[in-house]
Formats: sequence, C-alpha cells, structure tokens
Amino acid sequence: MAIELRPLEQFTIERIIPIHIGGLDVSYTNAALMMTIAVVFVTALMVLATRSAALVPRRWQSVAEMLYEFVADMVDSNIGQGGREFFPFVFTLFTFILFANLLGMIPFSYTTTSQIIVTFALAAVVFILVTAIGIIQHGFHFLSLFVPHGVPKFLLLLLVPIELLSYFIRPFTLSIRLFANMLAGHTMLAIFGGFAASIGVFAFFPVGINVLLVGLEFLVAVLQAYVFAILTCLYLNEAVHLH
Amino acid sequence: MSEREPPDPLARLGERIDKARAQHAPRQAAVGDRSALQQGIGFGFRIGIELVVAIGLATALGWAIDHWLGTRPWGIIVLFFLGVAAGMLNVYRAVSGISTPVGYRRPGEERAGKQAGQDPWDDDEN
Repeated sequence: MAIELRPLEQFTIERIIPIHIGGLDVSYTNAALMMTIAVVFVTALMVLATRSAALVPRRWQSVAEMLYEFVADMVDSNIGQGGREFFPFVFTLFTFILFANLLGMIPFSYTTTSQIIVTFALAAVVFILVTAIGIIQHGFHFLSLFVPHGVPKFLLLLLVPIELLSYFIRPFTLSIRLFANMLAGHTMLAIFGGFAASIGVFAFFPVGINVLLVGLEFLVAVLQAYVFAILTCLYLNEAVHLH
Repeated sequence: MSEREPPDPLARLGERIDKARAQHAPRQAAVGDRSALQQGIGFGFRIGIELVVAIGLATALGWAIDHWLGTRPWGIIVLFFLGVAAGMLNVYRAVSGISTPVGYRRPGEERAGKQAGQDPWDDDEN
C-alpha cells in the first residue's frame, strides 16, 4: 500500500478556461475561481444582510454590522482624523483576505492567499497607495520621512539608507507574512494527513494533531487578515499624519 | 431612574439600556482582556517575520547589485549589514510603540490625529 506524500500538490494552479491574449497566458485558473467566489461571498453577505435592514438586527445583519464595526474601530483608532476616507479600502482588503483565507479552509478548495503573487499584488497596491497619498498630501515634504531629525549630519549618510530600506521592505514583509503563514499551515495539514493515511493503526495520533492544527489554522486565517489590515492602517496613518 | 417616567419612550429605553450596561460592566472588562490577547497574538505574528525578510531581501539586493556592477563582494557585505540594521529598527519600532512610524519619533509625541478623531463613528451609542 503505497500512498504518495505530496503535500504541495494542493497549491498547483490549474487552468479552467485557457485564455491567451497575444503571448500572454491570462487563463482563468482555480486560484482566480476562488478569488471570484470570495468576492461574490463578501458582496452577497453585505448586500443581502443590509437589504432588509432593521433597527434590531437579525442574524446576518448583525454579522455584517460586526464586520463593519470591527474595521471601523480599527481604522478609527489607528488612523484617527482623516481615516474615514480610507475605510472602504481597508474594509475591502480585510474582508477579501478574510474570505480567501477562510474559504481555503474548506477541504478540496484552494487557498488563493498561499500564492505569493496574489499577496504581493495586494501588498504592492497598499504600498503604492500609501506612497501616493503621502506625496499628494505633503508634496516634497514627504521625503522628510527618511531623514530622522536631531541626528548629526555624518550619521545621516548611514541612517538614510537604513530608513529607505526599511520603507521599501514593507510590501515584501506584508506579502511574505500572509503567504508564508498560509502556505506553511496548509502544507503541515497535508503532511499530517498523509501520515495518517500511511501508518494504519496508529493513525489516531496524526489525526489528533490535525484536529488541533485545523483550529490553529482558523486562528491564523483570521489573524493574518487582521494583521494585513492593521498594518495597512498604520502605514496610511504615517502617510496622512506626517511628523 | 426613579418612578418618574420620562416623556419620551426612546429616552426610557435609553435608561433601561444604561442600567443593563452597568450590570454587565464586569463581563465587558473580560471581553476587553480577550481582545488585548488577540492583539498580542497578532503583534507576535507580525514582528516574527520582520527581521528575517529585511535581512534576506537586503542580502539578495546586495547580491544583485554585485552581479550587475561586478563589485563582488562589497555590495552583499554592505547591504547585509544595512538589512540587519533595518530589520532590527523595524522590530525595535514595533516593540517600543506599535504605531511608531519611520523616523525617530517617540510614540505620543505629537499624535494630533488620535485625540481629535476619537469617536466620529460612534453614532449608534447615543
């Protein structure tokens, strides 16, 4: 009885509808399908839950309101004044990542956020938006972000590159954090699942671990969406309220 | 809150809600603890990767610069140390004040936005 252990198989991209435009492969893949489903779910939740809005919310409406208030609180306490303008952006980001992560927890589905290009695209949007807002609101003064004050001139030679580096590293930390957490978690689940299938009688041990891991993965799924959103808020705060 | 009935039914409802809130105050504190724990976990997940990515990326950048300019091994050496510094700076900032941004500003030094925009969304509470 040979069971092959291929824990990374779950991340393969399959073309569902092959599309080629010019030399570009823009096929509709299983990853794209899961993203579409996530968007449809979020939209459906928000639209259906608020369609018959009541003063005393019913089940779905209160779910939508909880989501709203959670993100509103986060935006409020992290950006403060002028933060409301960014609420739609942060809310979209948070709900999309949350749903993509949670949909990935369904067996045999696909975790879009385990693809680094997806998370990097999201992080790049955040990074470009933050930089653009900083420049639009403060003009040339935005560059003062990289010059720490109260420091001797010759030290600036060393400190400005460090500041620049720590600024430009953000889209990478932001994307790698989300991608690595999802990839590692799902790989681990698949490995323990594979153990259980291959060792027969003693399978209860890896299965037991997997039960715990699934719980942990749900925590990670929610937490990583939260971390992504809160870091976006912090970066926006910095661009809006330049020192 | 005596037998005197406020004229407005909504005001009466408000009073009852206030009373109920007061009774549930201790439980709310416990909920606050849990959200603090949640934030703590989120925080831990956040800074864990900060240092690693900074060093890795800077070193890769140094290697690329060396590759293009033929300055091996100086680019990789210099950028490795810059990466270590940037990573440690990021972690230090994250630890010393969660929202301390780039630049050497202490948290709470001039956070004008925080107080001014305290509760602009809280329209359902009162």
